[in-house]
Amino acid sequence: MSWSASNVQEPRGDATIASWLGWIVPGAGHLYVGAPVVAACAFLAVFGLLLLGIRLSDGMVFQFLDADLRGPIAGALTPEVGNVSGLVYYMKMHGFGAALPRPWPEHIHLGSWLMAASGMLNVVFAVHAAALARLPKNVVTKGFAPASHVLAGWFVPGLGHFMQGRRARGTIVFVMLVGLFLLGTWLAQGSNLDRERHFYYWSGQFLAGAPVMILEALHGHALVTGDIEYADAGLVFGCLAGLLNILCLLDVHAFGLRRLIDTTDTEHAARIETSGITA
Amino acid sequence: MNDVTVHIALFLAVSAAIVLCGAFYSEPDDQKAFKLLPKRFLWFVGGCLILLAVVLLIEHTVASVS
Repeated sequence: MSWSASNVQEPRGDATIASWLGWIVPGAGHLYVGAPVVAACAFLAVFGLLLLGIRLSDGMVFQFLDADLRGPIAGALTPEVGNVSGLVYYMKMHGFGAALPRPWPEHIHLGSWLMAASGMLNVVFAVHAAALARLPKNVVTKGFAPASHVLAGWFVPGLGHFMQGRRARGTIVFVMLVGLFLLGTWLAQGSNLDRERHFYYWSGQFLAGAPVMILEALHGHALVTGDIEYADAGLVFGCLAGLLNILCLLDVHAFGLRRLIDTTDTEHAARIETSGITA
Repeated sequence: MNDVTVHIALFLAVSAAIVLCGAFYSEPDDQKAFKLLPKRFLWFVGGCLILLAVVLLIEHTVASVS
């Protein structure tokens, strides 16, 4: 049997369509590229995290948002927008809460983190679906790179670069972004570590991953009892650290995707050569 | 330190992070990215200074409230 080059190079689908589908409904991108098992895993993982977060927070997370900022597209600047159907579901079911105020549930901040993480996780699955779409139909990939590197880079800034073998770059990114976040937290005296107080700035700094999560667990949600001179600068620095991490994740994704495609092309060229010799 | 010095120091710190991430994003090779840094940093700071001048000019002319 011999393989024609055109069959071998035909991609599974359109990467843009795969990523859009995956963004809108968790797993839909994988269904489109013919990976139903991963699609089911993506759907269960993303919606599992979201529903657990909603349960822990009693559906009250978006009540953190100031009343004058509430509106139909208020969720567009939150990490939950990474899972569009989940965000729509949340807004339909819970929205900004009932008119009568209720006390915050005990684990509302953990619930808030889980909801936000579900959005980020769905973006990672959408990245994976888009990468699969670019590969030829008969290729079985080993591992989840570059999506796994993107996830690692979100969780610890620079870890994605490190896992790709770009250790110097990863170390510099870690020092720079975590340093920027710590400087911001010091300037704001920890007042930035609270989604209730700074809903949108928190969304930005959430993108810096575990360092934010750990510091918030240790020192977050403290009472502010006096004037903090550089609170605004601290908020901006923390938020900027997260936003710059997105730039770094794009670098991780582009590098990983290029490597994946190059590796696949090389393997296919070898397979064509081998099958040609066998035939 | 007085307030202006702190603001300038904070601005330079955040500029360094922005420029570094921008250079890494646009250049996959580390050595080339490092070579680009001084030029990109000057462009960024220079651009911000021009923006500052424009804002101050507007503040003292068309947007003046005095």
